[in-house]
Amino acid sequence: MATTSPSVERPRVVRSARWRRFTKGGGVELLIMVLGILAFWSFLSSVIPNPSRYLPAPLTVLFSSSDMLWKGLLPNYLGQTLFRLVLGSVLGLAIGIPFGILLGLNRTVSDIFYPILNFFQSISGIAILPIIVVWWGNSEKTVFTVILYTAMFPITFNVLAGVRSIPRIYVNMLRSLGASRLQVVRDVILPGAMPYIATGARLGIAFAWRAVIAGEMLVGKRGLGWMIFTAQDTDHTDEVILGMVMIGVIWILIDRFALRPIEADTIQRWGLVQR
Amino acid sequence: MPPKLVVQGLSHHYPDEYTGEDVHALDNVSLDVDEGVFAAVVGPSGCGKTTLLNILAGLLPYSVGHVKVDGIDVTGPGPDRGVVFQEHAILPWRTVARNIGHGLEIQGMASEERKKKVQEFVELVNLTGFEDRYPHELSGGMKQRVALARTLCADPVIMLMDEPFAAVDAQTRITLQEELNRITMATKKTTLLITHNVDEAAFLGDKCFVFTRRPGKLKATILIDIPRDRRVWKDLLHDPQFIEKRDEILTLVREEVSPHGDD
Ligand SMILES: Nc1ncnc2c1ncn2[C@@H]1O[C@H](COP(=O)(O)OP(=O)(O)OP(=O)(O)O)[C@@H](O)[C@H]1O
Ligand SMILES: [Mg+2]
Repeated sequence: MATTSPSVERPRVVRSARWRRFTKGGGVELLIMVLGILAFWSFLSSVIPNPSRYLPAPLTVLFSSSDMLWKGLLPNYLGQTLFRLVLGSVLGLAIGIPFGILLGLNRTVSDIFYPILNFFQSISGIAILPIIVVWWGNSEKTVFTVILYTAMFPITFNVLAGVRSIPRIYVNMLRSLGASRLQVVRDVILPGAMPYIATGARLGIAFAWRAVIAGEMLVGKRGLGWMIFTAQDTDHTDEVILGMVMIGVIWILIDRFALRPIEADTIQRWGLVQR
Repeated sequence: MPPKLVVQGLSHHYPDEYTGEDVHALDNVSLDVDEGVFAAVVGPSGCGKTTLLNILAGLLPYSVGHVKVDGIDVTGPGPDRGVVFQEHAILPWRTVARNIGHGLEIQGMASEERKKKVQEFVELVNLTGFEDRYPHELSGGMKQRVALARTLCADPVIMLMDEPFAAVDAQTRITLQEELNRITMATKKTTLLITHNVDEAAFLGDKCFVFTRRPGKLKATILIDIPRDRRVWKDLLHDPQFIEKRDEILTLVREEVSPHGDD
């Protein structure tokens, strides 16, 4: 008996270790919170009059999602929305990072552009939408412009702050090694501003995510925002809520599996932030 | 052989943007350093030592006087003058090996050749086994060795050092001083070290320039004729020649330190 007991015991040890990690990481509290919210939501749905119009129960929403999945609409809308997000964010990064670096490196450039940027930053993507609709109508170009516009500001401002945060001595050191301006940017400015670039990208993409949904509601064809908007028009409150839940869940997945690993691979490895 | 470094009649004023009154940091400094010589600049705090180094490095423009390295006027930073800064300036996003090879990378040396050369300097500064570590995993003394190796690896005409050991503890400092002596002896590198530590200047220097308090002028040049391979703290502490030279420098510096001790 004594010889067989370890092999019997081992799976239990592993399971309990995983369980402990889950409980230690606040997993239990989170689970209880989510269940509590779902229970409260179900309870509300059961006491209000006409719940299918005002607040359908969680299960009803779930069924509507399986229904929509069946019809192929949800994957189609989701794909459209994610495509807009990715393209808009990539463009935002491609413009925001070099622009932020230029502003950070050159006082004259930043003295000229900073007030202008600050002015436009206060006009949200939704506020510029009407004028863009006037120019380009109800087109894909209009949606992208709004996403790009929204993503660009947090990225540019963060990169600018990142470049300014780099110790002067690193630049001096590199110049003493005979580096050209381009080499200084490549070897010092870009990696040195990395923690700020990561923050800017995360903020920019988060803002862009909101802009995609809002833009789709007002101008787009298809997409998650459009789905929510038309569902409301046709009194499909379950689909409205489904859309909202998808927005939140997808953001958490993007953050967890795309944005955070990038940080862990660079700035944490270099010891630039403490975890 | 003409000297590797020549400074002639160098003066420097910092303009003060707020009061309009400027700070006179250096006054008519002339000095030279021959090939293979280890020179040390000592002087009280605020006498203009860092100013001198920044001018030599080409990081601070000067208008009065001349600075020549290898016969060429200094007009900006360049790889002929390798600098070891007080705050080591090791890049946190590069491993030890990539920091040490950075100068060669900038010069465009092929990767194979560079790796061989980097390994040579990793061994010279006793960092074998740490090649792939990131700076935040190193002690202060080790970071300073990386900075030293990076500068020497790029093979400058002259190495300039600004208080390189000021930030490490006393014990590490002694070890690093002995290693710096061994390494500069092995590489025969012409060096100018800036320090306010008289012991350090006398221990390392073949030639010590003593500066007055601000505005910094060259007060005296002390030659220390102790063979480099004899410079080990254990022996030098009781060496009458070393003690005599060190005390001579100490007296000269003491005269300059302000009686209020506020400088
Ligand atoms: N950028 C600057 N603008 C104005 N004054 C300056 C500037 N840098 C240094 N000074 C002044 O010039 C003088 C010389 O400074 P420097 O840093 O060269 O001294 P130091 O000998 O290196 O001193 P320490 O031993 O404390 O490092 C000081 O009085 C200092 O206040
Ligand atoms: Mg100084």
